[in-house]
Amino acid sequence: MALPLYYNWRNLFVRKLSTMLTFAVVAVIVLVLAVLLSFAAGIRASLASSGSRSNIMVLKPGATAESTSIILPDEISKLVQAPHVARGGDGRPLVSEELCVQTSIPRSTDGTLANVAVRGVAPVAFDVHREVRLIEGRRFDDGALEVIVGKAARDRYANLQIGGEVPLGKLSNRTYRVVGVFEAGGGALESEIWAGLTSIRDSFDRRFSSSAVLALDDAVRADETIAAINGPSIQLEARRESDYYIELSRKTREIVLLTSILIGIMSIGAVFAVANTMYASVDGRRREIAMLRTIGFSRGAILTAFLIESMLICVVACAAGIGGSLLLSGSRQDFLSDTTWTVLAYELRITGDIVVSALGLAVVVGAVGALAPALRASRIRVIEALRKA
Amino acid sequence: MSAAEIECIDVRKVYRKDRIAIPVLDGLNLRIAAGEFVTLMGPSGSGKSTLLHLIGGLDSPTGGSVRVGDAQLERMSERELTAWRSRHVGFIFQMYHLVPVLTAAQNVELPLLLFKMSAAERRERVATALKIVGLSDRTDHRPNQLSGGQEQRVAIARALVTDPDVILADEPTGDLDARTSEEILTLLNLLNTEFGKTILMVTHDPKAAAHGQRTIHLEKGVLERDEVMPRKTVAAASA
Ligand SMILES: Nc1ncnc2c1ncn2[C@@H]1O[C@H](COP(=O)(O)OP(=O)(O)OP(=O)(O)O)[C@@H](O)[C@H]1O
Ligand SMILES: [Mg+2]
Repeated sequence: MALPLYYNWRNLFVRKLSTMLTFAVVAVIVLVLAVLLSFAAGIRASLASSGSRSNIMVLKPGATAESTSIILPDEISKLVQAPHVARGGDGRPLVSEELCVQTSIPRSTDGTLANVAVRGVAPVAFDVHREVRLIEGRRFDDGALEVIVGKAARDRYANLQIGGEVPLGKLSNRTYRVVGVFEAGGGALESEIWAGLTSIRDSFDRRFSSSAVLALDDAVRADETIAAINGPSIQLEARRESDYYIELSRKTREIVLLTSILIGIMSIGAVFAVANTMYASVDGRRREIAMLRTIGFSRGAILTAFLIESMLICVVACAAGIGGSLLLSGSRQDFLSDTTWTVLAYELRITGDIVVSALGLAVVVGAVGALAPALRASRIRVIEALRKA
Repeated sequence: MSAAEIECIDVRKVYRKDRIAIPVLDGLNLRIAAGEFVTLMGPSGSGKSTLLHLIGGLDSPTGGSVRVGDAQLERMSERELTAWRSRHVGFIFQMYHLVPVLTAAQNVELPLLLFKMSAAERRERVATALKIVGLSDRTDHRPNQLSGGQEQRVAIARALVTDPDVILADEPTGDLDARTSEEILTLLNLLNTEFGKTILMVTHDPKAAAHGQRTIHLEKGVLERDEVMPRKTVAAASA
């Protein structure tokens, strides 16, 4: 009972401009949606289980992330005097001075480059980050060109098996060797590469650190520690390590929320674009529709034809949007590399779920937008439409 | 090879516009025998198209009854009429009304898509219909690549491809020059004589009307005159 698909398809080219505009609007929405969903999924997964409540993360005042924080050596030494800092077996305070830098490493799947965090740490870091556990190989020697890699990093990036070589440094001219693999309770640290603080400082030509992490002997009294560090004698910014990651993911949620609202508004716009295009199409084809009805095509067949026509635009636009998002997933790394999100940006991936969601949105936009015009088409008064204009 | 008798009894049609009743047909009686070729004449606005639409099941009468073959049209729902039209009536209009994005063959195929029919059979039927109207060499042309006369031939092929009982033509030559009109009328004559179709054709042109076996005149809502044409039409057309 239905009109053939080629009838719908060819009609899309009758009003090319209108069709193209709708196509573009839907494709852009799908693109934004796909990137948003992959972004949200990636960030959420790795931030959810990061950071300890009994650790204090110290950054430069005003810095929101390690990548924008600089801490001077004499500030580190003051930190040791903060109250409730835990001490190791050897009696030394558990204060981990850390330097966080970035490097580009090809993905193991398609060879495209991703920004990966490289953390220079002293041995005390392993007593501070108690969730970090070596699962293969051994620790690096501080001072040697050796690294250990997080489990997630090893799985995702090329050549990070034990024995693999990683070029690091300001000019990527120092070749480090992978000597171990660690896990960190599924948290963000598992996406990182760790090496000796002195080696990394030397290779990247840095004299400062980016952060310090303190382990507390009494997590309940963390507020006192935080107050002391934020106070006039030290003047750094402290927060619980777990809060730091929650803060990071709160921003993610904000971005996701704002983008969702944007997508919602764009979708409403797209519905109107579809409706507009389809109304123009219906009005331009009144006689043709009347003739089809005369021949014996039912109201339902006409309604369906216009719904299909609009969905054709939207589904093809969806394919284009997904295609665009796949292209973008390579370059997106650079886009995010200067922001807070660098470390986690590698998780961006267009999955089957995302394609299904995008297709769903496109189909809904196509159907909702075309409904009113399609109804109008199906209700055209045959005789009036057949009369000479 | 099917045909149906047409019978209108006391048919009334009143249009309403802004609460003003416009009576168009006012107690019209008409009988057209199966296989007859009747032409319908009358002044503009006399209700010729209206009558054709009632007989074709495109509209329902305000009163009276319209029977085509076994179908009592005034008792049928919109849905039933739609299905009935696809099987029993072929329409031909002055403006052809071809679908611009489809080729001649695809236009002719359209009504067959409403039938349970294999693609092969559809192709065969379309080829036959296009052959009858003499357009076998234009199957893949779009309407804008055809002349007016050729477009009307495609429309005729589309009207006959389902092998309907009745062919209703509303000024089919109204937009064509004399020579092309003559060709189209000859073709309609052929559908009547060779394939036995019942044909009702509206025309303003007495020369066109002469192609039918009978001409009825509509005026003031009723049939004014009913004249039988001399049976010379076929000979005249082929001369
Ligand atoms: N939908 C409508 N609403 C109101 N009046 C209508 C409607 N359709 C037709 N009419 C009126 O009915 C009358 C008959 O119209 P119809 O089209 O049947 O005439 P016609 O004999 O075919 O004329 P023509 O030779 O110009 O085609 C006209 O006066 C027309 O204005
Ligand atoms: Mg008319």
